[in-house]
Amino acid sequence: MALRELSSLEKYLELKKPNKYSTQGDKKVPVLQSNNGAPQVGLVTIACYLVKEAKRSELLGNSAESRAVVQQWLEYRVTRLNGCAKDDVKTILKELNLYLQDITYLAGKQFTLADILMYYGIHPLIVDLTVLEKEQHVNVTRWFDHIQHYPGIRRHLPPVAVLRNRIYTSGH
Amino acid sequence: MASNGQIRLFVSEGNPQCLKVLAALEETGVQCGVQCVNHEERVVPFLSRPALPALLLPSGLHIFSSNAICQYLFEVKGQESNQLCNQWLEWEATELQPALLQALHMAVVQGKSSDVFNILQASLNYLDQGLSKQSLPYLTGEAISVADVVLSAALYPFLSDSSLALGEYKSLKAWFDHVAARHSFQSAAQKVLQGKGLQGMKSYMQRQPLPQSSVCRDSQPTN
Repeated sequence: MALRELSSLEKYLELKKPNKYSTQGDKKVPVLQSNNGAPQVGLVTIACYLVKEAKRSELLGNSAESRAVVQQWLEYRVTRLNGCAKDDVKTILKELNLYLQDITYLAGKQFTLADILMYYGIHPLIVDLTVLEKEQHVNVTRWFDHIQHYPGIRRHLPPVAVLRNRIYTSGH
Repeated sequence: MASNGQIRLFVSEGNPQCLKVLAALEETGVQCGVQCVNHEERVVPFLSRPALPALLLPSGLHIFSSNAICQYLFEVKGQESNQLCNQWLEWEATELQPALLQALHMAVVQGKSSDVFNILQASLNYLDQGLSKQSLPYLTGEAISVADVVLSAALYPFLSDSSLALGEYKSLKAWFDHVAARHSFQSAAQKVLQGKGLQGMKSYMQRQPLPQSSVCRDSQPTN
């Protein structure tokens, strides 16, 4: 899963030559053997490396504050979403729903790497939601829909129908 | 929530994550109001469980990850974390923390200190190997970085306790002794552990949910 994500990220970043990845350990942590020196280990580490390679550092935040917010949500992605138990799903959706109440992206007004990796990670959870559950988490689904329609992001993932236009649904 | 243009850090006594941020705060000397609150205080409004430490930024945003708080403090001081730093921080959050939480629960709540080494062994091996591959005093170079502060503060409750022998981990021991002797660590440890060592975390750990045991999970048959 992490490897497909990284390959989609590479395409989004328009990196010319695809990197070769391997994994280590039971959790299949991604490893990138770069040409110059030590291997890069971990999804967040490699993703940040790719962003810098593509000279798209704004995706990591454009101030100390937004960089901290981006790093925090990247950590949330790999510590809370990866391998989360059924019980955690509700908590995660509830937390994100509250957080996204009055902001557009995870770092506020700016689209960042946190949105990309959170979208890839939360996709399997959103796919499983019923229509009612999607309506209960309207801020998450709005954000999710926004990111899946963001140019060049969706890649390896199937689109999820998340929002119905309420004006028309009542007529069916 | 306004913070009147000031950075405010919320911590609670006996919370091992607070050791990291207090050490980073001392190390960087960033101007910041520190407020000690109850373990149950819901400082971050959108999280389901109380999460401390938490940093309230001048913009009103909250940072609830102790590692991101430390990165922020170092960056404010002019030291942005590099690629190698980030890698150690990701390892700390994804590999070391689950093992440490389990070990803390075992040692502090259940009183079974003898099992701690088995739980931490794989992480200690990894860190010792990382340190011995390079002949540098710190994890990422000649100067102390956010990675050194976060990792040694995370390990502090155990490594400063003489019952966990680091005999074979020569590089790890040299690095930890070097970092932990700094004034910033002594001061942070005194604030969080109150000179009580592991027992200083008892009331905090008793309120934490039982950690998902990675050891148990691995030994279960996979389907």
